[in-house]
Amino acid sequence: MRDPIPFGTPAWCAALREEVNASSEYRNAAAKWGVGFNGNLLLDFEADGGLSAPLHLFLALAGGRCDRAEFVAGRAHAETGFSLRAPFSLWREILERRTLAATAILTGKMKVEGDKLTLLKHAGANRALIHCVASVPTEFPSPR
Amino acid sequence: MTALRKEFQAKVAGSVRAGGEVSPAQTTNFGHLFHSTPRLLLEPRGADDVVAAIAFARAKGLTLSTRGAGHSQSHVGLSDGGILLSMVSMGRVLRVDPDALTVDVEAGLAWGDLLRHLEPLGLAPPVLTNNLNVTVGGTLSIAGIGVASFRHGTQGDQVVELDVATGSGELVTCGPDREPDLFWSVIAGLGQVGIITRARLRLRRVKPMTRTYYLLYDDARRFMEDARDAMNSGRWDHLESWASPSPQGTKPVNGRRQIFARWFFPFHPTVEFDPKAPPNDEALLAGLRPTEKLYVDDLPTYEFFARLLPVFDLWKRGGTWEHVHAWTESVLPWETTPDLLDAILPDLPPSILVGGHILLWPAKGTTSRSRLFMRPEGENLMGFGVLPAIPPQFWTEAKPMVEVVSRLSVAMGGKRYLSGYVEFTETEWRDHFGPMWEPFVQAKRQWDPDGILNPGFIPLDSRRPAAVPTA
Repeated sequence: MRDPIPFGTPAWCAALREEVNASSEYRNAAAKWGVGFNGNLLLDFEADGGLSAPLHLFLALAGGRCDRAEFVAGRAHAETGFSLRAPFSLWREILERRTLAATAILTGKMKVEGDKLTLLKHAGANRALIHCVASVPTEFPSPR
Repeated sequence: MTALRKEFQAKVAGSVRAGGEVSPAQTTNFGHLFHSTPRLLLEPRGADDVVAAIAFARAKGLTLSTRGAGHSQSHVGLSDGGILLSMVSMGRVLRVDPDALTVDVEAGLAWGDLLRHLEPLGLAPPVLTNNLNVTVGGTLSIAGIGVASFRHGTQGDQVVELDVATGSGELVTCGPDREPDLFWSVIAGLGQVGIITRARLRLRRVKPMTRTYYLLYDDARRFMEDARDAMNSGRWDHLESWASPSPQGTKPVNGRRQIFARWFFPFHPTVEFDPKAPPNDEALLAGLRPTEKLYVDDLPTYEFFARLLPVFDLWKRGGTWEHVHAWTESVLPWETTPDLLDAILPDLPPSILVGGHILLWPAKGTTSRSRLFMRPEGENLMGFGVLPAIPPQFWTEAKPMVEVVSRLSVAMGGKRYLSGYVEFTETEWRDHFGPMWEPFVQAKRQWDPDGILNPGFIPLDSRRPAAVPTA
């Protein structure tokens, strides 16, 4: 069993990238993600539930691979194709599989910037990505 | 006999039972998701009984719900502490007019029983549901769609006239040109403003035989191109299609290995014919590009109408009829259908379709005049139904997936078909009916002023201003 890595650190980003690129589930499900369109994601974790300041995770994704994963400053990133924004507590629910990401998007609890239809029609790719994120052994900030 | 039951029985000719005497089957429906017991159950003998039951419910402050064959899957056909009318006791064919091509029937008549009556006359309703055991009143209250809907719209579009017992206790005859606002609030109106007691239905003459071509496609987009051409060609009487899984092994989904499938698209265009003039196969199939032509089936037309009953019998014998049926049926914009299939099918475990299936019904956007049968705009539409049979112990696990299918359908511009499993918030109900929400609320207020009819599903409240939400 791997040691938990603190969330929000470069080491966590490296572990996530490794997880994605080692995942046949993601490679298959996301084979068409980012092909012919900008599939880079910016995941916004809004401060709540133990996260004292917002975090912004940029993922460069195309053709079933992750070429870059890094926390960036601010909600704007020039290379972003889609951004997904939700309170940190909702992200925790999704990563702990208490809520489906698709449900969070479809009910409007998770805010989407970018072509929502494209995001929805690649539901499998995004589901597989969430699974990869959830598979990284993570030390999340404790709720206050 | 309780005093209330005795008092009710004195006012009606049909048999009244108390809640404790109701059969378990009448406390749930085909969905097996909701269970509730009525205080009183009436098997009405006729329209007078229905009118009397409404008056009694109003006087006693009880709700009144209607149940046909109980094939719905949401809180429909059930009563929680009110009066439940089991309409199948009103199942007579009243009059066939072979010259006018109409038939008058009581609302509790099953479509299959109507067909048995009409077969010697060579007549049939233009649109039939796949399941012929459902009732006329039941499907007209939802809309009623079938494999001929691409030509003839819904069953509701084939109604000439209705007798309706309104929630205010009047028995009103209505039709597209007579009390049209009431008529179109009853068709696909889920029993919210009145209860259908009699329907005059349009009929057509039937050719004796059908020929069905079992075509198989391995590509959804090519299948849809051919389905659109088939609809436009005017050659076909019935069009039916499916998404059919070929299991391929297991793959990880959320880290757990699950059976996955390669999906194929069977397409079954059917033409009716006279044996003296059999169809020209080559001419009929010209332009269609299936991956494979599997089979050509000639059947007497009335057997064609009943073609799925052996499948339903198999489901019953196999036990899956008693499983949870959270059917998710939608009418989709033609343009977004392939995207929705791409989003849903890859992760859909084929095992949930044991005792069920996935329907794809090409349809025309112009064939229905129904006001409350909500469908997207567009010349071509696609009926899409994920119809699983889920073992009850897996329902909690399957529910989020079913909800995602429903929400994805809506997000891609679809409208849910309301006989299935629907759990909308009030906002989602308003979105579903769109510009028809306010007229529907107004109709409810006008014809069911006490709000007694069929509560528990659509949150229409007669006493609440239309713009004010319940919570």
